[in-house]
Amino acid sequence: MSTYLIALVLGTFFGFALNKAGLTKYHKIVNVFRFTDMAVLQFMMTALVVAMTGLYILRGLGLVVFPAVPATYIVGNLVGGLLFGVGMALSGYCPGTCAAGAGEGKVDYIVPGLLGFLVGAVIYGLTYQQVFPSISAIANYGNVVIPDLWNINPYLTVLLFGLMSLFLFYMIDRAGWQRAEKE
Amino acid sequence: MNYILNYIRKDTWSPYVAGTLLGIVGILAVWASNSLLGASGSFENIAGMIGKTVAPKLFDNMYFNFIMPPGITYGVILLIGLFFGGMIGAATSGTLQWGKKGSANSDEQWKRIFGTSTWKRWTLAFFGAILLEYAAGIAGGCTSGLAISGGMLLAPSAFIFIAGMFASGIVTALIIYGRRY
Repeated sequence: MSTYLIALVLGTFFGFALNKAGLTKYHKIVNVFRFTDMAVLQFMMTALVVAMTGLYILRGLGLVVFPAVPATYIVGNLVGGLLFGVGMALSGYCPGTCAAGAGEGKVDYIVPGLLGFLVGAVIYGLTYQQVFPSISAIANYGNVVIPDLWNINPYLTVLLFGLMSLFLFYMIDRAGWQRAEKE
Repeated sequence: MNYILNYIRKDTWSPYVAGTLLGIVGILAVWASNSLLGASGSFENIAGMIGKTVAPKLFDNMYFNFIMPPGITYGVILLIGLFFGGMIGAATSGTLQWGKKGSANSDEQWKRIFGTSTWKRWTLAFFGAILLEYAAGIAGGCTSGLAISGGMLLAPSAFIFIAGMFASGIVTALIIYGRRY
């Protein structure tokens, strides 16, 4: 029961953050692919830097154990990502932002959106056996993390990732990696 | 204090502030419940629940029995939270409105490209969602369950996924927007 309560509270803050970042808006999602508004990337990278710093420190202190790491199988991750990007640019949302946008009362997120995700889930579940086992068998590295895979110090990896993100933020905010909207 | 309250009421925050909030949520999910954030898997749990009630024979397969068993999982509750989180966020900035007004076909940019037609928006929203869910299945998660949750643990899969997503997203936007890109 208490885990359910935690899930509800965390989910609420998650949806709140998506709303405040503006990710429940069509143009915010699409414009990251047009380089006219990089909020999606800034939001994601910030979340990643904060979370990985916290989690690797907490693990170092022995305060958390990592849950099952999402598996790496290069072809499947890549093909899935490629299809996902098409879906995002067409619809202007992803599963999480559609749920949060539905809560904002957007009727196109509530009806065709949520329904579409359920239909997609049914189609995937019914074709899983024909698709997933073969694609996930190619170049499968299992539930691995980069520091273990490449044998780099985990804190150094986090630090490098943080510096890379800061550089990226600098380029977006100061060095014109974000174009102005035409017109 | 007043500054904080006024900031909460703002429609759009700095992505750095909102991103920090999401990062903290990601840490708490692991620390408090040893779980990862996610969204696409929850739709599988719900689809399985509906399917097992409507057509138990069809849904009696490996996937819906073992890989993604139906039921009210942690992820389903998280998804319900996402819904209310979006609602609270919109309520605090006074943009909560049920119906067509917040739809993408009322978005200025959408109108410039696709016009105001509702059926056009609904068709793209529906088929886009199907594609997104199927893609997330193949990849092993969506933007939340793989890109954020995997990325914060430094899983290579998350970064391969993000790279693929940006590559095809850019090409798709180029094709859709054409000269207006």
